[in-house]
Amino acid sequence: MKPTTNSVPDPAVLEATRSRAASWPFRSVLIANRGEIAVRILRTVQTLGLEGVVVYHAADRKAPAVQMADQAIEITGATPVAAYLDAKQILAAAKSSGAGAIHPGYGFLSENAGFARAVAEAGLVFVGPTPEQIELMGDKVRARAFVEKGGFPVAPSAIEDDDPATFAERALKVPFPLLIKPAAGGGGKGMRIVREPGQLKAELERARSEGQRYFGDGRLYVERYIENPRHIEVQVLGDAHGNVVHLFERECSVQRRFQKIVEETPSPALSPELRKRICETAAGIAREAGYRNAGTVEFIFGAGGAPGTGNGAGNPEFYFLEMNTRLQVEHPVTEMITGKDLVLEQLRVAAGEKLGFTQEQVTSSGHSIEFRIYAEDASRGYTPTTGPVLVLRPPQGEGVRVDSGIVEGQDVTAAFDPMLAKLIVTGRDRTEAIARADKALAEYALLGCITNTAFLRRLLNHQAFVDGAVHTGFLDAHPEIAAQPELTPATLHKLLAASALMTKPMRDVADLVPDMHAAIGSWSN
Amino acid sequence: MHHAFKLEENEYNLELSRGPAGYRLHLADRTIPVNLHLEDDGSAVLTVNGRSEKVLVATRGDDVFIHLGGVAYQLRYEHPLQRLAAQAQGSAEDHVRAPMPGSLVALHAKPGQTVARGESLLVMESMKMETTIAAPRDGVVESVHFAIGQTFDRDALLLSLVAAIVEGKKS
Repeated sequence: MKPTTNSVPDPAVLEATRSRAASWPFRSVLIANRGEIAVRILRTVQTLGLEGVVVYHAADRKAPAVQMADQAIEITGATPVAAYLDAKQILAAAKSSGAGAIHPGYGFLSENAGFARAVAEAGLVFVGPTPEQIELMGDKVRARAFVEKGGFPVAPSAIEDDDPATFAERALKVPFPLLIKPAAGGGGKGMRIVREPGQLKAELERARSEGQRYFGDGRLYVERYIENPRHIEVQVLGDAHGNVVHLFERECSVQRRFQKIVEETPSPALSPELRKRICETAAGIAREAGYRNAGTVEFIFGAGGAPGTGNGAGNPEFYFLEMNTRLQVEHPVTEMITGKDLVLEQLRVAAGEKLGFTQEQVTSSGHSIEFRIYAEDASRGYTPTTGPVLVLRPPQGEGVRVDSGIVEGQDVTAAFDPMLAKLIVTGRDRTEAIARADKALAEYALLGCITNTAFLRRLLNHQAFVDGAVHTGFLDAHPEIAAQPELTPATLHKLLAASALMTKPMRDVADLVPDMHAAIGSWSN
Repeated sequence: MHHAFKLEENEYNLELSRGPAGYRLHLADRTIPVNLHLEDDGSAVLTVNGRSEKVLVATRGDDVFIHLGGVAYQLRYEHPLQRLAAQAQGSAEDHVRAPMPGSLVALHAKPGQTVARGESLLVMESMKMETTIAAPRDGVVESVHFAIGQTFDRDALLLSLVAAIVEGKKS
C-alpha cells in the first residue's frame, strides 16, 4: 500500500546531502539542548554521517539523547536549567569534544546574540542566524519598526508619547474596534475596548484616570483590537546567499497560559488566496532582513469584525507579531506536509550551501497536527505533575510520529519545562488526521506521572475544534474541556478491581482463605 | 471494610476475597467477580463481571497506575493503620505542603521562629510564577525541609509548625 504521508526527508535528498557533508566545514555537531529536541537534532546529524555531541546536566543522565549521542559531556549549574544556559561550559565542551558546530535547538541559548557571537569567536559554526538578526528580531519595538518600514502589515496603533497634542486625532484613525492600553501597564489592568468612535473621548479619559490610579502614569496608547484572534505563523528558510523561501503556515491558536498546546498545518482558517498572501508576506519580511537559517514569522489573524461592530466586518486581516530566529517546537508538522527535513536544511545553510530548492519546489500535501504531551494536570489549572516513568508505550501506526525526550525508568521532575514529547499525526486531510490522532492519543500510555493525553482527546473531539473554529482564548472560553469528566460506575469498578488485585496486602489476605472455607462462603451469600 | 483506595479527592472502601470461581470485589452496595491476569509483555487482562479487556498497570509503593480505555488513572492504597494514625494525629495545619511541584526561591522563616497566621513562610516557583506560602495558623516553625534552589513534588512537606507556647502557661 502506498503510504499516505511524506517520508522525511526525501531519501534522494538525504543521500546527496550525506555525500556533500563529507566536505562540510564541520564534521561534528554539539547540541546545546536537552529533551525531545536534542534527540530530534541528533537523529538528523547522525543520519548525515556527522558526529553528534550533547551536553547534559546530571538530572538528565538517563535521558535518551545522552544514550544516543556519540559523545555526552556533563555540565553543572546552580540549577539544572542554569547548566544549559552556561555558555562558557558549553563552549569548553565543544572544544574538548572536537565539535565544529553548535546547534542551540529552541529555548535556552537559541536566541542569545551574545552566545552566537561567542560561538563564532571560538572558531565554531553557529547553526542559526547572524547575531545582528537575532538582535533585530529579539527587540520587539525595533522588529515592529523594521517590518512596518518594509511595507508589511503591523497592527494599526497610535502612541500618545509620539505627539500628545494629536493623540486623540491619531487614535480615531485606527480602525475600530480598538484597545486602549496604559503606556505603563501590564496584566490587563486599565485596558478598555472601544467599539464606536463616538465613545473614544470618554473612554480615553476613563483609561487615563485608571492608568493614573494603577500605575501613577496616565499616558496611553491605542491599537486595533482583534476579536477572537488566531495565531498563525509561517516557516521560512534562508541561506547566506540571499535566497529565502517559505514552507507554508502553521496555526497555533489552541493555547493555555499563552503557551501552545496543539499546532497544525494547513490552517483551517485560511482560503488559498489568503494562505498565499500571508506566506509571501512572511518570506518578504525574512528576505528584507537577509535572513539566514530556519525561522518563523508570527502573525495575529482576525477573520473579520463581527457584523455591526463598525469597520472590518467580514474582512480577514493579519498583522506581524514577532519573528523567532530558531527552529520551532512545532516544526515537525511542516516537515510532514512538505517532506523537508528542517534540521538537515539548517545544517546545509550553516555549512554555507545554497538552498537546495526554489519556492516553486516547496509543495504541501496532506494535513498534520502536533500535540504537545505535557506532564501536567489540566483539571488543576494545568499545574505540572511529577513522578517516575514506570511504563511508557508511545503509539505507532500509519501517519503517527512521536518526538520524545523520555524513556522508561526516567523521572519527571519539576526542574525543567513540563513538555515530555510531541505526538505528530498526519493524514490525507484534516478529518483523517483527527481520527488518527484520537486513536494515537488513546494508545499513548505513560504510567507513573499524570499527563495531558486525556485532556487532548477531549479537546480534539470538541465540536469547535472539529470545525476548526478556535482562537487564542478558546480554552478559557471552554473550561469544561479541562475539567475532569465524572467517572461512570462501571469504570470505577474496573479501577478498584485492578487496584485491589495489584495490591499485595489485599491479594495476600484473599489468598489466605482456604479453598474449603471459600466454597462454603459462596453458599452463604 | 478495612481496605480503601483514594482516587482524586474520594476514598473508596472495599474488600477482596477468593471464591471457588476466582476473586470477588466487595463494595458497600455490591459484590463483583473480578480477575487480573498479567501478560508477559507487561500488559494485563482485567475481567470484571465476566467482561475482559486489556489494560496496563504499574505500582510504585502504595500508588497504583492504570491505563484503561485510553485514559491513565492513579489510585493510592490507604493503609488501615496509617488511616487510623492520621485521624489521631494533630491538624493538617501543622504541615505546610507544596500545592504544586516546584522549587524553593526564598525562605522567610527559620526553625524556632514564631509566626502569625497569614505571615509569609516561603516563596516557591512553579511554571515560571512565584507563589508565596503563608502560615496556616499561629505557631512556631519546628523545621524547614528544603533548602533554597531545591525542587520538590506536589504535596511534599515543606515546613512543620508546632503550637506556640503561650507565655505564663509553661508547665
